Amino acid sequence: MRMPVIVIAAAALGCAASRLDHARFPGAGPVPDAALGLARGSVFDIPVPPPVPVNAARPGEALVAPRPYPGAPPVIPHATGGLLPIGARENACLGCHGVRERKPGEAAPVPGSHTLDPRRAPDQPAAEVAGAWWVCTTCHVGRTGARPLVGNGFRP
Amino acid sequence: MSWNPTRREFLEAGAAAAVAGTGLRPGEARAGQAAEQKGWRWDRGVCRFCGVGCGILVATEGGRVTAVRGDPDHPVNRGLLCAKGYANPQILYGEDRLTRPLLRRRNGRFDKNGDFVPVSWTEAFDVMEREWKRHHKALGPTGVAIMGSGQWTIQEGYAAVKLAKAGWRTNNIDPSARHGMASAVAALMQTFGSDQAAGCYDDIELTDTAVLWGANMAETHPVLWARICDARRSSPAYRVVNLTTFANRSSEMSDLEIVFKPNADLAIWNYIAREIVTHNAMDREFVEHHCVFAAGPVDIGFGMRGDDAQAFPAELDTRAQERELVLSREEAVAQRRRPGEPIRQSHVSNPGQHWLIGFDDFKRGLEPYTLDVVAEMARGDPDEPIGAFKEKLHHLAELYADRRRKVVSFWSMGFNQHTRGTWVNEQAYMVHLLTGRQARPGNGAFSLAGQPSACGTAREVGTFSHRLPADMVVDDPGHRARVEQHWKLPPRTLNPKAGSHITQMMRDLEDGRIRWLWVQVANPFQSTANANHWIRAAREKDCFIVVSDVYPTLSCKVADLILPSAMTFEKWGGYGNSERRTQLWREQVPPPGEARSDLWQMLEFSKRFRIDEVWGRQPVAGLRADGFEDGALPDVVAEARAMGHGKDRTLHQVLFATPEAQRFAWPDPVAEGHENHTAIHAGISWFPEKALFEEYAGLGRGRGQDLAEFDVYYRGDVRGLRWPVVNGKETPWRFNEQYDRHARRGSGIDFYGSAMQRLPSGDLEGPTRNEPTSLSGKAKIFFRPYADPPESPDAAWDLWLCTGRLLEHWQSGSLTRRVPELNGAVPQALLFMHARDAAARGLARGDLAWVESRRGRIRARVEIGGRNRVPRGTVYLPFFDEGVFVNKVTLDATCPISRGTDFKKCAVRVVKA
Repeated sequence: MRMPVIVIAAAALGCAASRLDHARFPGAGPVPDAALGLARGSVFDIPVPPPVPVNAARPGEALVAPRPYPGAPPVIPHATGGLLPIGARENACLGCHGVRERKPGEAAPVPGSHTLDPRRAPDQPAAEVAGAWWVCTTCHVGRTGARPLVGNGFRP
Repeated sequence: MSWNPTRREFLEAGAAAAVAGTGLRPGEARAGQAAEQKGWRWDRGVCRFCGVGCGILVATEGGRVTAVRGDPDHPVNRGLLCAKGYANPQILYGEDRLTRPLLRRRNGRFDKNGDFVPVSWTEAFDVMEREWKRHHKALGPTGVAIMGSGQWTIQEGYAAVKLAKAGWRTNNIDPSARHGMASAVAALMQTFGSDQAAGCYDDIELTDTAVLWGANMAETHPVLWARICDARRSSPAYRVVNLTTFANRSSEMSDLEIVFKPNADLAIWNYIAREIVTHNAMDREFVEHHCVFAAGPVDIGFGMRGDDAQAFPAELDTRAQERELVLSREEAVAQRRRPGEPIRQSHVSNPGQHWLIGFDDFKRGLEPYTLDVVAEMARGDPDEPIGAFKEKLHHLAELYADRRRKVVSFWSMGFNQHTRGTWVNEQAYMVHLLTGRQARPGNGAFSLAGQPSACGTAREVGTFSHRLPADMVVDDPGHRARVEQHWKLPPRTLNPKAGSHITQMMRDLEDGRIRWLWVQVANPFQSTANANHWIRAAREKDCFIVVSDVYPTLSCKVADLILPSAMTFEKWGGYGNSERRTQLWREQVPPPGEARSDLWQMLEFSKRFRIDEVWGRQPVAGLRADGFEDGALPDVVAEARAMGHGKDRTLHQVLFATPEAQRFAWPDPVAEGHENHTAIHAGISWFPEKALFEEYAGLGRGRGQDLAEFDVYYRGDVRGLRWPVVNGKETPWRFNEQYDRHARRGSGIDFYGSAMQRLPSGDLEGPTRNEPTSLSGKAKIFFRPYADPPESPDAAWDLWLCTGRLLEHWQSGSLTRRVPELNGAVPQALLFMHARDAAARGLARGDLAWVESRRGRIRARVEIGGRNRVPRGTVYLPFFDEGVFVNKVTLDATCPISRGTDFKKCAVRVVKA
């Protein structure tokens, strides 16, 4: 079954542009409180939250984004519905990522660091992902395609 | 000591960056290795986020933070971090970072109806001072207030307590951590006479049973969850239980998930206790030697306003519960009374009162809590067959009753944000004390803090309306005298009357009783329940609100003055985590623009007050204390002069820049080349963070709250220390003679806490003999009954609303929503609904809905399924999104003893928008 990749972000785009304008705040003139913060408008308003983009990319259909700095965990580029949650014995992520080496067109292997037991045997790579690293979603978050609310000037 | 990458760290960096299979493009892999060689400076730090307190390594270059890693040598996390931990570098660099003071002005002057204009720090302090003195002149010390949080550093919290209590003689200082931890504190004080956990995180690996109660640890304490998962997968006998009001990610690692009805935790604990008692599973020796039994009044209200003042019309029926309620069938059974019986709430003003009871009375209280009764009351998923639910409860009781098992019970906000939060905390201790599972490795009842220094700052420093540092309280003359002596204050400087807790401060703002408010490192106008009241008060009353923050938050939007603050890595500081581990860090990078540390702000502002302006006779309505005139604080200026302080002395000189403080010189070798912008901006050559720390530590040393010396925490081999630190050694388990040097020799276990240790005796109804009995060294096993919450779903408002956190976002979202990865993962707060509840309202996934309560309404988009699988009849909406302002609909009911708000249950209706 093939499905085109559709990432819905249209409404979010429009809102994000005006928020980035006020990133140049404080400017020269007075700024009303409605222009501050992550939700435009008065606190007495009741905003209409925009439609939330949904990641429809299946595993392998989207590139992983550059990490913000070396050593930061990569963001999951594909949708995770149906693959989560991770249980005591069930880990769907390892179904594809629990391999030793990278093969073209296939999932990135879990790095060797994740086989190190940080508490009992921190220098001994093992065959399996260690218990401390078992819950992938502790560090790896998904993505929806939503645009940033404000810009971020972080650079490594 | 600057950290140099160990071989292992280098290997990990190589493994992460260079393996082609990670999906990094080749350039990035090379950049990863190249960046390591660029000469980044690494230093140790503490994660900015939750109460776990992970150790991190922070990389900086050219005055900017460039990376973060988990500290592999840190006992808490051993190199692991969670997604928020990895975002520590980016939180500094949102483009709308506050860098200049902003004042509402019109026609060149402060005007509450003006828009925000950048002003100088001098002008900012001028307006702050003028407004403070105007309102103080009209109202006295109770007219001014400070709201802080468990995200203040230890030194900031301590400076704020000094400024408020010693300087301004107000006890109106309270943290948002009140909501997170007050019930835990109250229960610890009542049970053990001393605050803070007996155990530590080592218990996770040492136990074989981890029971979560109202703690979605997978989302809220992720690295502790990783430790539990590790233990679970390593040991076949390890059991994990998740007690919750909705299925969540913590359920997935659990061997047993119990979805219970809100408030039924009170009933479930009593069922477990009844099983233990009737099936002889008590540790009789432990109970006989180390415990007594206790009870308290039941008619204590719900911490709501007791009258109709300021109420929206729709709120009146819920509010009326504060004065009188009618017992439901469940309550009647649980409290051995008649259904339909009206109960006046007569103990609203003294809800914490308690007395000793006998074991027979304790058993009598437990008698109604049979499996059949409790299962009916507690079943939270109406679609779960009652037989299956009963089996689960029975299995849970068996785990606690199994004498061969070690058990740790963990909880956080499910218990602490509860209108009977103190009671349900005490019930956890009840079961652990009955079975001898407290203060012993691998055993214990353990409340987890939400904020990074709810323990280290809010609780230990005492940044509360009724507290002083080191577990002392304002209404104890001995405690006040001790602190006055330590701070070199004239006797009777400190105000003996407790001030307003944080929710009360909001009500006082609404009533015009507080008219000057300084908010630091908190976002209370977004995070306080029943928010429509408080945002209106902020904007419409004659009050002056100053908010010190790093980004423009919702609280900034309702403020009159916004002050730009330094962030965590831009100042020296320290936090204390949930296992009593105090950890200190150095400044890593300078703050941007004109942002200044909160400590600098308080030190500077304190220069605006001469002691004759604040230490004269002051009115305090309702003050009644021995040695004090009714309703007033005495003039202590003359006494101050006798002590060497002329009346022109400022609070800055008397409280902060003292001769003792100035003996701590800056620069200091412990800095190892790091800067101190508090000192630079203040133009001083002394070290305020060290001076304040050492002065504060002096109050706790020798009394069971011992901290090590400042420099010790910076040693290369130290990764924080769990207090009490005695003779250089930390204390993993308190009260246990083997590990705690304060425990009396020969006692085995010595519950040496000193508060509330002399009590009258009585029965379940009340005290009958007033001569007090002393309980030296013993802990109290409380009997607490089941009680309904003040507002449950009914025909008009037919759903339970629960609110809380998700992993990707921290509190009100001001930091994490500015990090692209975290915002991109969870860009909006969604309303988690059950599929059938949604369908019944014509709602599909993604649809817009109104969420309405008696107190307000908001709009949210619907999520069905996903990480929180709510039972039919419940909806869940996280609070991180200021655009989906859930606290407009929540209820400001609190535990009457602790004053922590119950964010976990109120009644709403959901309608298609």
